[in-house]
Amino acid sequence: MNLIDLPASVPWLSLIWLSLVIPTVIIALMKPEQKEEIRIVGAAFSFISLALTLLVYLAYDYRSPEKFQFLEEIPWLPELGINYILGVDGISLPMLLLNGIVIFTGALISWNIEDRAREYWALLLLLAAGVYGVFVSLDLFLLFIFYELAVLPMYLLIGIWGSTRKEYGAMKLTLYLMGGSAFIILGMVAVYFSGTLRTFDMRLLAQSALFTRDVQIIFFVPLFLGFAVLAGMFPFHTWSPTGHVAAPTAVSMLHAGVLMKLGAYGCLRVAMWIFPEGANYWLLPIAIATLINAVYGATIAMTQRDFKFMIGYSSVSHMGLTLMGLAAANTIGLTGAVLQMFAHGVMTALFFAVVGRMVYDRTHTRQFPELGGLFAVMPFAAIVFIIAGLSSMGMPGLAGFWAEFNIFMGMWQRFPLIAVLAGISIPITAGYILIAVYRVFFGEMKNPEFRHLPGLTVQEYVAGVILVAVLIISGIYPAYLTEPIEASVQPIAEALARAGTLGMR
Amino acid sequence: MSFQITDIPRILPELMLLLLGLLVLGSDVLTRWGRGPEAQLERAREAGQLTAVGLGLVFIVGLVQSRFLFTVPDPSGGPLDVLLTLGRNLQAGGPGGSPLLSAFATDEFTMVARLTFIGAAFLTSLLAMGYRLTANPGEFYGLLIFSTLGMSIMAAATEFILAYLALELSSISLYVLAGYFRESERSPEAGLKYFLFGSLSSAIFLYGISLVYGFVASENQKAGGAPIVATLFSEVGRFATGDAASSPLLILGMLFIIAGLGYKISVVPFHTWAPDVYQGAPPPVTAFLSTASKAAGFLLLYRLLTTAFPGVVGTPRLEEFNGWTSVLAILALVTVIVGNLAALPQTNARRLLAYSSIGHAGFLLLAVLIWSSTSPVDRTFGTAALMYYLIVYTLTNLGSFGVLAVLTNALGSDDLNAMQGLWRRNMLLTLMMTILILSLAGIPPLAGFWAKFFVFMAGYQAGAVPLVTIAIIMTVVSLYYYLRFLKAMWILPAPETTPFKTPPVANAAIIVSTALVVLLGLLPNLIWGTISSAASVAAR
Repeated sequence: MNLIDLPASVPWLSLIWLSLVIPTVIIALMKPEQKEEIRIVGAAFSFISLALTLLVYLAYDYRSPEKFQFLEEIPWLPELGINYILGVDGISLPMLLLNGIVIFTGALISWNIEDRAREYWALLLLLAAGVYGVFVSLDLFLLFIFYELAVLPMYLLIGIWGSTRKEYGAMKLTLYLMGGSAFIILGMVAVYFSGTLRTFDMRLLAQSALFTRDVQIIFFVPLFLGFAVLAGMFPFHTWSPTGHVAAPTAVSMLHAGVLMKLGAYGCLRVAMWIFPEGANYWLLPIAIATLINAVYGATIAMTQRDFKFMIGYSSVSHMGLTLMGLAAANTIGLTGAVLQMFAHGVMTALFFAVVGRMVYDRTHTRQFPELGGLFAVMPFAAIVFIIAGLSSMGMPGLAGFWAEFNIFMGMWQRFPLIAVLAGISIPITAGYILIAVYRVFFGEMKNPEFRHLPGLTVQEYVAGVILVAVLIISGIYPAYLTEPIEASVQPIAEALARAGTLGMR
Repeated sequence: MSFQITDIPRILPELMLLLLGLLVLGSDVLTRWGRGPEAQLERAREAGQLTAVGLGLVFIVGLVQSRFLFTVPDPSGGPLDVLLTLGRNLQAGGPGGSPLLSAFATDEFTMVARLTFIGAAFLTSLLAMGYRLTANPGEFYGLLIFSTLGMSIMAAATEFILAYLALELSSISLYVLAGYFRESERSPEAGLKYFLFGSLSSAIFLYGISLVYGFVASENQKAGGAPIVATLFSEVGRFATGDAASSPLLILGMLFIIAGLGYKISVVPFHTWAPDVYQGAPPPVTAFLSTASKAAGFLLLYRLLTTAFPGVVGTPRLEEFNGWTSVLAILALVTVIVGNLAALPQTNARRLLAYSSIGHAGFLLLAVLIWSSTSPVDRTFGTAALMYYLIVYTLTNLGSFGVLAVLTNALGSDDLNAMQGLWRRNMLLTLMMTILILSLAGIPPLAGFWAKFFVFMAGYQAGAVPLVTIAIIMTVVSLYYYLRFLKAMWILPAPETTPFKTPPVANAAIIVSTALVVLLGLLPNLIWGTISSAASVAAR
């Protein structure tokens, strides 16, 4: 069912990622002093990209048997089976929308960047363009290229505009993620040569019976692990809190909000889709690792004194739940995983906006003992933070609830014990969120100067309202997300189930 | 098999290089120059311009001749007939035909190599013009051209003596060039080190040749065949098959040949000269040395091994030794590891890139390993991967060493620390260096990424999966030191903020190489088709 029709002659998906490359070029050609103009160009184009993703979302027909729509195919290096193939389905669409929302709000939140604004905006938009590219690629090679394009600007963004051990954080993050990419390259080469087809077209690669069982079991590992590093899977998660803390606010938003989802998306779209038998073989180890992720991440979050570190570890914990949904490997679990990617993306973007921009940029501290009583000065920040917190605890009526509900249901069907154990993370999450809310926004104000903090800007209000609205709408009417997602994960879940019966033989 | 007058167009670019070299030398000697600094400058400029224009011309002739871009149509009675006839005659000497005197192949492989070297020499001459040159510019540019000539012949040689002479021609010119700054502290040291290492290596190479010659001649005598030219690659290939291929004489000769060429391509353990020479030689020479010279070594090694020793290929497995692919696999393994790890603690930018280029030699060897597969498709792919990598590597390293040449000139130092806060001082240069460094690191969508990916594919297909895995891990290690460039240029605070200008000629060279790196990254099939066809000829 699609609400609107778009002319098929327009390359919508190319337009989406190009809509952020064009302003990168424009901004690079502007003068460094034209800061306000640069911001306006950046924000305007990120809004255009958001609008384009919305249009595509509304025009996507998830009832149609043809899951991939808005296809674009251009030969690139056809001798080697490398082509420029774009297309979206119900899994990539919510991710596109998420990226649109986060980059637009991130752009609004970045309004106070004064130092080297031109380079900042160019890199920020380039990063988001790479993210769009990953979500629309159907060619593995192309996907990888966009993936790297999304990762690399991060080094400079954190290194130049970051805080708190920024050079260390930037280097650690980049090396971890590139280490992941190294695994992916190995997996890609194996995918190319092990099958009977010499192609990188994932639609063809995902056909069953292309790879032998042994190949699937061996090469699933590098492919999955490579992406899982970016998704923050235990024990490869340590780059993530350090990186998030060091990064400037909008970059943390994009990073925790969207970039980590690239990892989970890659795990699903590349590793599990191409190697269902391999995935099936490794489900239990993955499930155990994600259990540790969820519970251990939440526990560590509880012990943090630094507000931003707490959010960083909460991301690790929630991404653990996402991967757990993948490890459930059934329709309901996969739906939950994709939904969690969306819900957590919006929610964590809101968290970082509050922590990094609204609180830290004004108080210049993130230590819990030094904060307190901020509700009186910035009630808006407190309210949106509480809403995001409730969503992250899984409060019914907000987006996070549906996601976690589905994930736990899916896991219950696959490994009930793990589902039960992972349930521990829910009260812990509630614990640290409530503690943070109490310590930062209520309680006594430790520093009397906080009374005179400058008020929130219009851009901050708009960004906050958009993010909260998405959380609430998705909580009340999740069907706009779940129906396309379910329709698209179903074939993957079926392939996984088939692989399961094969493995039994 | 004798040399015909009609064969001259086939070696026209080489002849033109020879004439150009003599012309540059001669015009510098025969002109009366004043003594003042003004006149010195004028003299250097004149020699540089003559070289650049001449090399550009030779490049165009080579490009037209190769038929890579277009085939000249038949003259049709129009006003352009003279040009068309000229073009047709030129292209008659294009790729194809049996090697001249069985010793000098003029196939697509040679054409690609020739264009690469001449192009590299052209960009180097631009860089040199942007750099302060002290004495005797005529000699400098003349030697540069002779070295290019040697390289072109190296890539075309199908006979041992010619290969050896070409190797010497290119190397001896480079020894002098490396020690060209007689007043500086490091340059003579670099020249001497390079010379000692190089001459020892050529002796080893020559010894290897003599062993192989002995093997072929005695085998021929045993078989009672008619007298043959026993130094032809093809003759060696004819006898080095079956049982005879395991003859210790032949194997020893082959190992000596690989070791002798190993210095030219600076693979571990024959690499120790490289860091000192790269750091000490005049910066434009370093740019040339690390790119064209290395590419020539690779192409000669490749043609030699594949045509003279196809019977001793073996498999690239690390645990057993059964042919030259196993030797190269071991060399590749130690080279990627040592090159990349040794680059980590370096503080001098040129020295760092020297180690990185050693690491790149290891990646390049992966492409050659695929010869262990008997399928022509695989072999073609491997050859194409090798050539693509060499071209991209040449462009990237020329550009990045070019940037370092500009920096050395402007800042007086090529330490990484001196690059701090470069974005404030010269934005364009910083931007281009960033792109070049990222391409060296293999970040998509730049050309360096495709190059690395292709050689990994080739190595995987050759069955050397553990080796490819280690090489891929080493790319992550390499990223650490490449990011140090970005950190210095973009992140660390600038000790000084006064802007400086890039000399326009050097700027042009750097812009051209950067633009090509980006272009070949976005559209790799611009040259992939040409290279593949060249490779399929070579793989036959």
